[in-house]
Amino acid sequence: MPALWVAAACTPASLSDLSRLLQVIGQFLSLSLFSLGGGNTLLAEYHQLAVDQYCWLSARQFADLYALAEAAPGPSSMIVGLLGLGAAWREGPGWALLSACAAELAILLPSTLVMVLACLSWKRLAQSPLRVALSGPWVPSPSASCSLWASRSCAVLTRMARECWCPAWCAC
Amino acid sequence: MTDPSLPGSTSAGEGLAPRPGLAALFSGMLQVALSAFGGGLSAWSQRIVVEQRRWMTNEQFLTGLTVARLFPGPNQINMAVYIGAEFRGLTGALVAMAGMLLVPFSLLMALGFLYFQVHELPAVDRVLAGVVAAAAGMALSMGFKILDQYWKDPVALVLAGAVLLALSVFHARLVPVVLISGPLAMAWYWPRPARRAP
Repeated sequence: MPALWVAAACTPASLSDLSRLLQVIGQFLSLSLFSLGGGNTLLAEYHQLAVDQYCWLSARQFADLYALAEAAPGPSSMIVGLLGLGAAWREGPGWALLSACAAELAILLPSTLVMVLACLSWKRLAQSPLRVALSGPWVPSPSASCSLWASRSCAVLTRMARECWCPAWCAC
Repeated sequence: MTDPSLPGSTSAGEGLAPRPGLAALFSGMLQVALSAFGGGLSAWSQRIVVEQRRWMTNEQFLTGLTVARLFPGPNQINMAVYIGAEFRGLTGALVAMAGMLLVPFSLLMALGFLYFQVHELPAVDRVLAGVVAAAAGMALSMGFKILDQYWKDPVALVLAGAVLLALSVFHARLVPVVLISGPLAMAWYWPRPARRAP
């Protein structure tokens, strides 16, 4: 549904209005628990949100930010902060920085909460049979996330290749 | 959050350093974050946490990495949470995470500001295009490494193929795909008394 609307006219969604900002934060909060299996599982989802749905960035800019996040030291999942920065860049640097921090916190908060709870209780359960029982069913999730991850990265790469590199090369 | 009555929690392996304090956790995670450019953080984190600082044995580290990969969220940040929680409970987890994120995030924000100011310069564009290519290559190699582990498992391959089709050909959204494929995979791999999954 949003894709059709976007195809017609893509106007950047403004973040200057607080309720809009909260809505976007909510979206990142709910995505957080789906970043399974490491790597950047959510990369294509970010692309969909930032480029297609909200029109904050061009496909070219998205690829550049991805490169920046990969090249800079630290976890490359911090690309979310860069997306937040780009999303509110029109609103001025102060607002952009706020939006960057909000995006990063929103994407990290739920998954980190789950991880903290898991670690603390994991330790407390060290001797209990419950831990043994729990580690069984979790074994399959790498295979599910492996497939997710592989397909996701292929999707993003082909897309980036199509939208960014080809025009760049043709222009050269 | 440690219980001294548990035998496992106090017996440090031979050759291990004393349990790190909060400042050490912060600086250790900062060191991990700053030494790894363009992915490959787990290798660096292993080198620093296990070999240099001797906080954990290699087995303990690998257990942590498995837990960090199983739960949602970026692996490296989950790993920092795991290491922090292991030694200093909740405070340790938060401090380790701050060490992993604070300085790199500020640096990245500075780079981001620079990018949005000067990205019209063609030289910057060329450099970034090179970095995208390198990053994409690294991402692909990671994919093949994972594929290697599941090569002998037809169910995983079928599942991977189906998810690939759904996402890249039919442009399905990630969330519904996870909600459908996740439980399917869990149901299939659920340990059964007769046939044990490898």
